[in-house]
Amino acid sequence: MTAVIRAPLGALNRALGRAHVRAESLLVLVALVVVLSILSPVFLSLSNFFNILLATATVGILAIGATFVICAAGIDLSLGSVLGLSSVTGAAMSAYLGLPWPFVILGALAAGAAAGFVNGLTVAVARVPAFIVTLGMMGIARGLALIISGGQGIYGMPPEILFLGQARPFGVPTPIFILIGTALIAHWVLAHTRFGHHTLALGDNEAAARATGIDVRRLRLMLYTLSGLMAGLAGLVFTARVNTGDPTAGLTYELLAITAAIIGGTNLFGGRGSILGTMVGALIMGVVQNGLNLLAVQAYWQQMAIGTVLVAAVWLDQIRQRGRVL
Amino acid sequence: MSLLELEGVEKAFGPVQVLRGITLKVEAGEVVGLLGDNGAGKSTLMKTVTGVYAADRGVVRFAGEDVTLLPPGERRRRGIEMIYQDLALAPQQDVANNIFLGREPTRRLWGLLPGHVDKARIDREAQAMVDRLGVRVPSIHIPVGMLSGGQQQTIAIARALTFAPRLVIMDEPTAALAVREVNSVLALIERMAADGIGVILISHRLNDVFQACSRMVVLQRGTVAADLRREETSMAEVVSYIVGAHA
Amino acid sequence: MNRILAGVALLGLTAGAGWAQTNTYGVLMKTLANPFWGAMEQGVRDGAAEAGIEVIVQAVESDQAAEPQLNACNAMLETPMDAFITAAINSTILLPCLKRANEMGIPVVDLDGNLDHEIAAQAGVEIAFSIGSDNVAAGAQAADWLVSQIGAEATGPVLVIEGLAGNITGERRAQGFADRLAELAPGLEIVARLPGDWDRGKAANITNDVLTAHPDLVAIFAANDGMALGAVETVFAAGKQDQVTVIGVDGNSDAVRSIRDGRLDASVAQLPYLVGKQAVENAGRVLAGEEVEDFIYVPTLVLTKDVLEAGTEPLLEYVR
Repeated sequence: MTAVIRAPLGALNRALGRAHVRAESLLVLVALVVVLSILSPVFLSLSNFFNILLATATVGILAIGATFVICAAGIDLSLGSVLGLSSVTGAAMSAYLGLPWPFVILGALAAGAAAGFVNGLTVAVARVPAFIVTLGMMGIARGLALIISGGQGIYGMPPEILFLGQARPFGVPTPIFILIGTALIAHWVLAHTRFGHHTLALGDNEAAARATGIDVRRLRLMLYTLSGLMAGLAGLVFTARVNTGDPTAGLTYELLAITAAIIGGTNLFGGRGSILGTMVGALIMGVVQNGLNLLAVQAYWQQMAIGTVLVAAVWLDQIRQRGRVL
Repeated sequence: MSLLELEGVEKAFGPVQVLRGITLKVEAGEVVGLLGDNGAGKSTLMKTVTGVYAADRGVVRFAGEDVTLLPPGERRRRGIEMIYQDLALAPQQDVANNIFLGREPTRRLWGLLPGHVDKARIDREAQAMVDRLGVRVPSIHIPVGMLSGGQQQTIAIARALTFAPRLVIMDEPTAALAVREVNSVLALIERMAADGIGVILISHRLNDVFQACSRMVVLQRGTVAADLRREETSMAEVVSYIVGAHA
Repeated sequence: MNRILAGVALLGLTAGAGWAQTNTYGVLMKTLANPFWGAMEQGVRDGAAEAGIEVIVQAVESDQAAEPQLNACNAMLETPMDAFITAAINSTILLPCLKRANEMGIPVVDLDGNLDHEIAAQAGVEIAFSIGSDNVAAGAQAADWLVSQIGAEATGPVLVIEGLAGNITGERRAQGFADRLAELAPGLEIVARLPGDWDRGKAANITNDVLTAHPDLVAIFAANDGMALGAVETVFAAGKQDQVTVIGVDGNSDAVRSIRDGRLDASVAQLPYLVGKQAVENAGRVLAGEEVEDFIYVPTLVLTKDVLEAGTEPLLEYVR
């Protein structure tokens, strides 16, 4: 039975290979779209398509960071907490310090990058396992966010910031532009630059990366900083969308981000992955959540549905990988 | 002028003197077998050649220039390549990318954006290299991990040869291979020498060494115990030097 | 045998009688990393200061950390105290420790109504009283206010955003809202009750999706302010602020600011400060031998732009 699935998938995969997207995840996405189109009359519309992308924006941007780090056989568990820290830091620039709006952007991105840089230093230089380092940062960043904000949401952003979260230039919500723009750049970086090639090689075989003269320490430092920067950007978008610097923002989002990357075909043990694949993974999750909301499915069933999709998507990947190395 | 000249090279790790004054020459187009028991100092010696270790005393001269104080990257640029026993391949990356790993050529995307890895060029040159070496792989687009041990070894060699090295050091290239694969690797070594590349072959398999090398250097406790020409020696003599039983 | 029992009882009595000397209450919260609990703690402290009582306040790292709270509870009982006031993380985890407190003659006060008196009694724990807001009533109050604004004859779809799936507080608020709405304005139909997981971003997404499924949505009730604020920002981004009324629960400071800004329509404010303060006052009454109700409900207050700007409502004093 698996052979029946494998042959046509193989052909499709070769066709998609250039775009670094796996046929399996695309197939799951298409199947979901078909099913939901039948179940809900409003599912298949342009405005609902924007809903899905808008809902995917924050987790999608986080998932970009997660993909880079996982491709290098690392992990970043602090993504969600750093999102919260960035949200609060950015909001504080305007609400507490009275600085003009560019500082909100700067504050959010800098807070994210700084947290990522600390992660990177500890992983690459102090050589503490990434799981531990980022688990620690998960608590540190969340705590810091609560301290800065006194545990309260920092309400009220300048209109320029609200533009980033709530406006609809050309009828398309701004966060969608940010998501797509970031994803395209990130895709280019991972698939088409030396940095990306080295990232995959590092995740594949660290000894090989070292032997071929790749500066592994610097690479790791850059990867975790990049991951933090993505969390900062996601925090900015979150803040702009809800008009509040929220210290509890992004709670458990790191798991969603990692899940999106894995559904999208990133190897949890490193060496393989693509940003476009991750975007498909994030879209799958967004579509499921959107469908459940449109159909007004009860809470308990929602969790089951999301869990099932995760396992199904990864199972399809296993079918393809079986009989192959790694 | 020899391609590689070592003069009185010494190296100690703390109180342990690993190399005790090694003097050795390798000519261009020559295949030299480096033999010795475990702990004789073979790996340490080779790492002082590639620059991973700095010699405590003595001189490393390459193509007539003193490279003793140069870092590994600079020595590599001058043409010293090493192929490690574990091959240092990235199994999920394709053959072509592995051959160019760490040295990917880039171009401007749309004539604007710098740093775009020139995958077309990587594929083209990797294919040319694979063809030139007569290596049989199903495709340069498949992950290296899907290849056999022998095929992987030839990919590692192809990587070493891509940047026109003048000296290639190979650490146990035949240790994990099937007989048929050993022969193709030895044939490759022969062709490298024919192209004027100096080769140092570290191996425990005397058969392979006798087939590929015109000279054999035996290390024993950090010194050169013997430096023999293939025509003038026998396997029994070499073994007696390795185990330290030679009179 | 009887003599031993009597001895134990006597010991219990002396421990109980020791309150006059310790003049100390133990207070075990969920977490302080949240303004709601922070305000409640402040109420406890102010109430204690007025009564001249020492309080030992402890909290755990999150409102999910059940086992650490049990550990903290056990540790706290090592300090002599007259009363133990706790906001339990769930209805069962602290029972063994609370039983120990009872055995030491220390009355137990249930802060914010997380304990179930029947279950506690089965475990041999006697709860002196529970104090907190009535979450069902808070939801109902939101429905009252909504109907007072758009009229009992209004028709149209309504969205309810619940808290974390399975969380009793969120469910009670949502249920209170739904029941009262059905009673007052049967024309308003709740078309979706979805879990917002207390997450602003998720509530924003839900709002977007439901606005697509029901473009004529007239109202959103969210089980807390964070989610209501996520919903209201989405409503504004969609340009539907004149059509959709959004109501939250809690009366958080960011909600208050949003209401003043003319964005969020209303929030049913709980008064955690008052809950904390009255908990201490009533604990004093229990220790003095007075009768108190099993359940003491602290009122909730509907905050709107008008109420905030008028500033005449006496309970406003307790809104942060």
